[in-house]
Amino acid sequence: MKIKHLYKYLFAALLVLHLSSCNDNTDAEQKFDQTPTERLNAQKGELNDLLLSSEFGWKAVYFTDNTVLGGYTHLFKFAKDGTVQMASDFDSDTKTYKSEYEIQLGSTVSVVFTTKNRIHLLSDSNSYPIPSLEAEGYLGDFQFLYYGQENGDIVFKTNRNNRELRFVKATAEDWTDLSENLIMEQNVIGGEDRPLFRLLETNDGTAIHKFDFSFTAATRFAESNSIETGYSVSYNMGVGYTPTGIVVSPAVEVGGQKLTNFTYSDTDGSFTATGTNGVSAVIKYTDKPLALTDDYKLLLPGQPLGWFGFFIDDYTVEAPTNSPLFYAEIEKINAALPEGQSISTIEIYSNSRIGTFIYYSFVRRAPLQHFVTVEEDEAGKKMVLKHKSWNGNTTVATPAILASFDKYLMDPEGIYVKKENFRLVYSEPVYTFTSASSPFRMTTWKLN
Amino acid sequence: MKLLKYNKIAVLAIVSMALISCAGDDQLKESQLNYTQPVKTSLDNWITTNYLNPYNINVQYKWNQNTVDNSRYLFPPTINKVKPALEIVQTIWLKSYATIGGPDFVKKIAPREIVLVGGVNLNSVGTRTLGLAEGGQRVTLFETDYIDQSNRANVSEFIHTIQHEYIHILNQNKPFDEKAWKLLTPGGYTADWYNYAIPESNELGFITSYARSNINEDFAETASMILIYSKAEYAAFLAGIQSPTALAALKAKEAIVVKYFKEAFNMDFYALRDEAEKNTTAVINN
Repeated sequence: MKIKHLYKYLFAALLVLHLSSCNDNTDAEQKFDQTPTERLNAQKGELNDLLLSSEFGWKAVYFTDNTVLGGYTHLFKFAKDGTVQMASDFDSDTKTYKSEYEIQLGSTVSVVFTTKNRIHLLSDSNSYPIPSLEAEGYLGDFQFLYYGQENGDIVFKTNRNNRELRFVKATAEDWTDLSENLIMEQNVIGGEDRPLFRLLETNDGTAIHKFDFSFTAATRFAESNSIETGYSVSYNMGVGYTPTGIVVSPAVEVGGQKLTNFTYSDTDGSFTATGTNGVSAVIKYTDKPLALTDDYKLLLPGQPLGWFGFFIDDYTVEAPTNSPLFYAEIEKINAALPEGQSISTIEIYSNSRIGTFIYYSFVRRAPLQHFVTVEEDEAGKKMVLKHKSWNGNTTVATPAILASFDKYLMDPEGIYVKKENFRLVYSEPVYTFTSASSPFRMTTWKLN
Repeated sequence: MKLLKYNKIAVLAIVSMALISCAGDDQLKESQLNYTQPVKTSLDNWITTNYLNPYNINVQYKWNQNTVDNSRYLFPPTINKVKPALEIVQTIWLKSYATIGGPDFVKKIAPREIVLVGGVNLNSVGTRTLGLAEGGQRVTLFETDYIDQSNRANVSEFIHTIQHEYIHILNQNKPFDEKAWKLLTPGGYTADWYNYAIPESNELGFITSYARSNINEDFAETASMILIYSKAEYAAFLAGIQSPTALAALKAKEAIVVKYFKEAFNMDFYALRDEAEKNTTAVINN
């Protein structure tokens, strides 16, 4: 009897299960009306159609890492047969090259440049701009994950380090004008005849702030720090070139507005980004250093011995602080010397037992000593060197081989002296001597 | 009796319900997956004819993040550099082994896939990784963009890589006499081998500095270096060794290599070396 009941219940339970099991209600699964495979396939198709859709292809200014490197402009024209034409402003070769691409499924749908072309120049372990990027090239990627579209742009994220990269529709001019980016690069670096100092000036509509500005061409990266005490804002930015100016990342944020596009003015060599309501940012030249130091006082009369040296065959010759005009003047000395002779060192001895003098030494030629007096320009925070004698002879004229070089150190406007905050390999502090009225700057070690 | 009847009805009901309950399902449609073969270029067809069909070796030259180390800054080969690189591999490596080891030798023991990478694989200590052999299945060759077919040193370095990696694959199939090898230059192995100049390592009984990383690399370096030297070059190399103990160690290592090829694969190692030399000259003069 008992077992009979058990069967009854069992039967009833099975009946209930069966009747409810094939309920057609799949509310919980209605999020998408397509299967994952269908959706991925649709996305693949969407991306491929999109890449093929733009008449003149796509343009991307690729900032691989905007904390150390600038932007590299690439142009892409995709074709149905799986090939892509590509050009880049990575170096002076802005010609167009052909290679292959694929739409691949990675962590999501992505475009991959599967055989070598210009974009791979950013991902060459053996070609890196600074020692700290050894084996990492320019930190570039060439597999881009598809994250949809925004205002006609294609939004990607790089596969390796997840940085956003936008493909913008290119124009015919983008292709023809790409080489002009490299002309602009020279303007960003700055010509020999431009002043040595640069600043970034921001205007938020009411207040103006000034920042020093230094650009490193090898990395296309600029550092810009406030020079005002109690105002510690920095704008470090990667720089990309355009035919008309530069584009920076991260944006320079002024008064809540993000400024990224700067326009070049050939008249004064400045780059200006303009926002709304009087907001602007300008990168411009200035004749004197933004932050003047008292370092010149080390050489004033009454101070202990100072010994500063520039050496042609040592790291001082590679210092980024030497100006092009300085190098050009060194070359002038060598050109004026007979075959087999060349300039070797330029040293400044201040307050030595025999006085203050500039010591020029040569390869296979006797050295020359230019004795000077040092005067202070307290208001201008600089020193002025005045001629006394050559090797103790007060009547002899400046030797012809040094005439051009020496006059920069004798600048009547004076010399700025600055203790730099970097080292040139060795532990000796680095001092620069800059002519106040011309873009002449020499880098030395302080050797005592 | 009554119980049994009841059961019969119940079973019948359940069976019929089971049979009809889930009817009306959608019919299977065509697959969502894309089965169409990618369009083959003339290069792809050349690879099929020269690698896939005769040796069952797949060559991958297009970038695939799954077969490379994503933490390294590498790039795929330039398309017109692929075939010259593969021709060198085919002539100097595949053909030499086929001639001496028999036509089926490489077919039986070979990597199933060769991955080509165009760029240099630079390590943070300044050394370059030229090749990788993984699990006896896949060989990755780097720097294919820099091959210069007219330059013997350049071709030798590239071929050195594949010879070296192939020795690893042979070892992964049949081990060499590790016990005997271990006794020869036990004190010379070091993890920072790259800090030593090659002549310095030669004088310790190692054919290269890299050979000092461990005995497996030592064996692969010894065998592959002898293979890329010509007979005369190798004799000159030995003649230049000053230290008698180093010379003895190098010769003992050579003997183990020769014995290994004979015993494991019934192959005359010197004949293989001569064949490789002949084919190398053929590549460079082409």
